[in-house]
Amino acid sequence: MVEKFDTENGMASGTPAVTMTAVNKWFDDFHVLKDINLQVDDGEKVVVCGPSGSGKSTLIRCICKLEDHQRGTINVLGTELNDKVANIDEIRREVGMVFQQFNLFPHMTVLENCTLALTLVRKKSRRKAEAIAMQFLEKVRIPEQAVKYPGELSGGQQQRVAIARSLCMNPKILLFDEPTSALDPEMISEVLDVMVALAEEGMTMVCVTHEMGFARRVADRVIFMDEGEIVEQNTPQEFFDNPINERTHLFLSQILQH
Amino acid sequence: MTNTKTTYQLPPQISFSQRLKNSLFATPFDFVLTLICAALFALLIYWFIDWAFLSSIWRAEDEPLCKEASGACWSVIDARHRIIFFGLFPFEEHWRSTLACAVMIATIVASCVPWFWTAIRLSALWLIGFSIFYILMHGGLFGLSVITPERWGGLALTIFIFAAVSIIGMPLSILLALGRRSKLPVIAKLFGLFIDFFRSLPLLTILFTAAVITPFVLPGWLQGDKLYRVIFGFALFFAAYQAENIRAGLQAIPPGQDEAGLTLGLKYWHRVARIQLPQAFRNSLPAIVNQFVITFKETSIVTIVGFFEILASGSAAFGTGKWTVHYIEVYVFIGAIYFIFVFSLSRYGAYLERKLRVGHG
Repeated sequence: MVEKFDTENGMASGTPAVTMTAVNKWFDDFHVLKDINLQVDDGEKVVVCGPSGSGKSTLIRCICKLEDHQRGTINVLGTELNDKVANIDEIRREVGMVFQQFNLFPHMTVLENCTLALTLVRKKSRRKAEAIAMQFLEKVRIPEQAVKYPGELSGGQQQRVAIARSLCMNPKILLFDEPTSALDPEMISEVLDVMVALAEEGMTMVCVTHEMGFARRVADRVIFMDEGEIVEQNTPQEFFDNPINERTHLFLSQILQH
Repeated sequence: MTNTKTTYQLPPQISFSQRLKNSLFATPFDFVLTLICAALFALLIYWFIDWAFLSSIWRAEDEPLCKEASGACWSVIDARHRIIFFGLFPFEEHWRSTLACAVMIATIVASCVPWFWTAIRLSALWLIGFSIFYILMHGGLFGLSVITPERWGGLALTIFIFAAVSIIGMPLSILLALGRRSKLPVIAKLFGLFIDFFRSLPLLTILFTAAVITPFVLPGWLQGDKLYRVIFGFALFFAAYQAENIRAGLQAIPPGQDEAGLTLGLKYWHRVARIQLPQAFRNSLPAIVNQFVITFKETSIVTIVGFFEILASGSAAFGTGKWTVHYIEVYVFIGAIYFIFVFSLSRYGAYLERKLRVGHG
């Protein structure tokens, strides 16, 4: 577990899983990431929060190359993330991603969603792939829905399937991009329960979320972003109880108001 | 969990006669209108049935009776149907053309069955289907006499052109659609230019160019038979239009679908084949089926460059002697044949739409 880190430059002291050094990104001339320095350690759980448009989603999308960064370096599990196809493939093999909109494949059953990459990327036999998929569907407590299509499931169930689909690829790092933001309130906890269980098993997680209860309970570190910068990062305890920066204050007062 | 006290209320049932009354006979004016329309409709149906069946002459040798009869003179079909179906194909070899047609129709029907929808099965099916068709029509093997494509005609030619255009045009249209969506600007522009070029030319111009002009431009070994040049030109035209239908379907897919595929480590062609294309086909199925329907009917344009497909063969059928007055019967007959094919196609499209809607609510 990561106990101490230098809050000045975001460098933690354990084995690095993700290292971002002076990362900059622009959408046309909009500077969306400004000099991001961030290290996520093996087994660490990091929660990223911040107002909309602050660059938090872009940050984690850069880690699995859904977005290109234009300056700086990103290193994932010892592999440099550049334009080399082999490197990108290598990194995507080890990094899973869970999306706000689930992004399940609507024309395939839940089981087919889970086995697709196992058979095509991992080259498993169909039977073996199905066994693995069922194992993870059981883990997210949804095995009875295996033969249904995503459109027949509730949002919470779909998101749990999406998590199981990622887990099938046996990732070392899981990225969550606002996994509960598209859900009805009564479905949020079933998804968070799965995420908590994963965290307890020691998965390395980077979660963009506004679920502050989850952050308090699970996170080793909370990062606050605003206008493309990492404004503040600290342990959840310190972050919520003694925020240092003015903007963090404002943000927390806004989301914790109700 | 379950609340046993909940009582479920069914919506009130409206009987068929009640619904009929509500929609057709609600007011006196509706009543009169419905009666008038029903009477007119019944009259039209009666006229047609009387003309086509009750007062019509059927056998070829009864043709002299046609002058007195008030109905259709189907004698012309009885006497001349071989020309309509086979064109200039040698009379004693008509069985080959019949069999070839049956094989091609069976191939088309089989490829509509979901079991065949893998690249290997579909390719195998069409390779076998086309081979048998070609051997039967062209001959030169197994002791069959050679009959060159200039003498192919009628229904067999129409079906052959339609099937060949579809089977060349469909993969081509997928490539064109994907190319136009390429992230590389040069590729996207080139494919876009190609598609727009063929879309902005009339089909007639393309067929004319393929049939008449290319022999002057291409070296002899590249020319091939006129029929194949025309089919190839037709396929390019078809592909340009179909590519735009497919592209519309691709663009309707949320970008998250491809991103999910990327983060699972799927390669480009896997994402295309397993995630993008199935959804694109579902999205633009009505337009895609429509293009097939249009293509089937547009095969009649090859007449202009000298091929006797079914419509031209029909004209030949009533083109001589005593049959010249019976063109209406021939056109009704050919119309019925077109209708059978096109209506089956659109029904199949409707079936596909129902099937692909599974799980989409």
